Amino acid sequence: MPFLCRTRKAALLGATALLTVGLAPPGARADIPDENYRPVLEHLLGVVMPPKLDALHDATANLSDEIDDFCAEPDQDGLDEVREDFHAAMDVWQEVQPWRMGPMVANGRDQHIEYWPDKHGTATRQFRKLMFDKPAIYTDREKIAETSAALQGFPALEQVLFDDKLSPKLLDDDEDGVFLCGYGGAIGANLERMTGELVDEWPAFAQGMMEAGPDSMDYPDAKFAATDLYRALHEGLLIIVSQKLGRPLGDGPKDGKASRAESPTSKRSLRNITHNLTGLFAIYDGKWGDTGEEGKGLSALIDSSLLDRSFRLNWQTMADALDKLPPSIVELLDQPDGYQKLADFAGQVSFVNTLVEGDVGGTTQLGGGFNALDGD
Amino acid sequence: MKHQRREFLKLMGVGGAFTLLPISIARGAAPTSIEDRAHYISASAGDHDDFYVSAFNANGKILFEQALPGRGHDLGLRPNHVDVAAVERRPGLYGLILDRHSGEVRAKLHCPKDRRFYGHAVYSDDGRFLYITENDFDHARGVVSVWDAEDGYRRIAEFDSFGTGPHELHLMPDGESLVIANGGLHTHPDFDGRTALNIDSMEPNLSIIDRHTGKLIHQAALKADWHQLSIRHLDVAPNGTIAAGFQYQGELTDQVPLVGLWQPGSEIRPIEAPDNVQLRMRQYCGSVRFDASGQVFGISCPRGGLITFWDVKTSDFLTHIAAPDGCGLAATDVAGQFVGTSGLGNGWRMDAIRRNRVELPDDSLKSLHWDNHLRRISI
Repeated sequence: MPFLCRTRKAALLGATALLTVGLAPPGARADIPDENYRPVLEHLLGVVMPPKLDALHDATANLSDEIDDFCAEPDQDGLDEVREDFHAAMDVWQEVQPWRMGPMVANGRDQHIEYWPDKHGTATRQFRKLMFDKPAIYTDREKIAETSAALQGFPALEQVLFDDKLSPKLLDDDEDGVFLCGYGGAIGANLERMTGELVDEWPAFAQGMMEAGPDSMDYPDAKFAATDLYRALHEGLLIIVSQKLGRPLGDGPKDGKASRAESPTSKRSLRNITHNLTGLFAIYDGKWGDTGEEGKGLSALIDSSLLDRSFRLNWQTMADALDKLPPSIVELLDQPDGYQKLADFAGQVSFVNTLVEGDVGGTTQLGGGFNALDGD
Repeated sequence: MKHQRREFLKLMGVGGAFTLLPISIARGAAPTSIEDRAHYISASAGDHDDFYVSAFNANGKILFEQALPGRGHDLGLRPNHVDVAAVERRPGLYGLILDRHSGEVRAKLHCPKDRRFYGHAVYSDDGRFLYITENDFDHARGVVSVWDAEDGYRRIAEFDSFGTGPHELHLMPDGESLVIANGGLHTHPDFDGRTALNIDSMEPNLSIIDRHTGKLIHQAALKADWHQLSIRHLDVAPNGTIAAGFQYQGELTDQVPLVGLWQPGSEIRPIEAPDNVQLRMRQYCGSVRFDASGQVFGISCPRGGLITFWDVKTSDFLTHIAAPDGCGLAATDVAGQFVGTSGLGNGWRMDAIRRNRVELPDDSLKSLHWDNHLRRISI
């Protein structure tokens, strides 16, 4: 039986290539009717995403409250609890993060929530100065929003809560401890405010996409609107490969560096990717945890059950590989074969993205047009 | 049927003269306003690696398709003449001079064996000289070749473009100088001629040269942090302001400007759209075109399916209009109004001031994929 299972699995994994070869050229394939894209839009934008944004807002609100409670009477247990709340809020954020559209990116919101990658080490430089000067604006819960994006979101809070040198100061009743608590509280409040704006602004944005039509200057048809969801899936995987894994991998084994990864201080670089994949798969599948319904995402537009099953299996293989790795790239790269494992995983994500480009993009007809794919 | 027609055009070959719809018939049905009498001309493609130069009228009715031996890109219009220069996109080997009313081939240009055409060409105001951007690939050097239209399109000179990977070029309003977008990308035919070989060290710039001597007059580059912004396309306003569109070779999430304005002699001023539009530009600009007034310019972003519009006076983003796979862009004779085409076969008339988009009514336009650039011919 296990052999049969393996055989069946191999056949499905290989089916993608066969199907790709067997697909008719785009010009010969019938167009998917525009009305077929509308239910996908309605499901993903109207049913699936709003509860996740609520969950993000709730998690940041809880984090903000917990920081305040902790700072009222700082102790190690309290700090551990705040760190757990940080992880809980980051988990939800990492699921939502790849849906890069509308209110998520308006006014640089995604970067204010999480300024990363920080190619020039802006945060480190500014953070050093901040601790030296301790400007009052950084403990002001309203005005912190006017400060540098690098110092007002999750990465800055990560430094406050997890940095080996800084976080112990939170327990001290001195100038540094008081400032760090005030700063952490302001970041928490700022995150709560920004995620609240996301909740508020999403419905109107989603409505605009769901009402795509010839009179709309933003979305002239439902297919065009659905393209933004396909792009989020495709670009989300690209960002994982080129940035979240590519940056720590560097140019080769000797150049590997965990500190270039996302969230290295809280040791959750790969945990972030686990949650990215959850949010990304929801775009394909239509189900996101307890929210939504399987088969109502982009997969609803795929008329081949074999191709759909093959894609799901390849995705699951990639997710299983990630589950076998520790949550931290710091920890992984400390292992003798850690670099190779990380490189192998990057290769798997890259492979799945070729399936997104070829199979999902081709079959849903959302993969881009003549100029978009091969302009000059 | 459509396919058979294309096959027939292919069989006719590039030397054949063929007009699907005689211009007189098209004119017979034509209304009277200036815009209604305008024609548009662009490189195009069918579904089977078949490539054309095609023209359509203001309603979107195709007037002719002239088969090409390979994919075209932009077209240069010879002033006060029927000639249109169609240069193969990079790495291009052929150039054809066509009759703008029929598509008839009037002359052929051959790229020297150690050069490749880069898709753009422009004529001098008197129509005598044709200038084409080329790649001197063995030396990673951009050049501008000069062809004498009055001497059977003989190649008579070659100037340095003062950069690598030159792409679009335009005549400046003085009629005596050329502005060149040096995209900065080094490519070589041994590596397919399109793959960039110098992403880490690319140095794009805008250069203005004397069209008679090739002497460099002005040059400007973006700041070093933005060296991966390939400056590819541009247009020039009557007052000499240059609008340029960039294509970013770096990360998807990097926050970089994609549009710049340049007054020669000063620095390039980078400008950005609001974040949610900037994201949808997908780090890639296709065509740049000023409107009839020279106050508004449009920049197409085919990867994001948007046409963005900008105010040259204030350097502000004005608005955007969705245009799936839209890339070709030409100004009508009305301020703020453009005609755009798409790789999906659509054509639209767009008004940047009223934020309005109307599909061109004739469906024949949809039989082709419309390529990167669109030119308007006033009749």
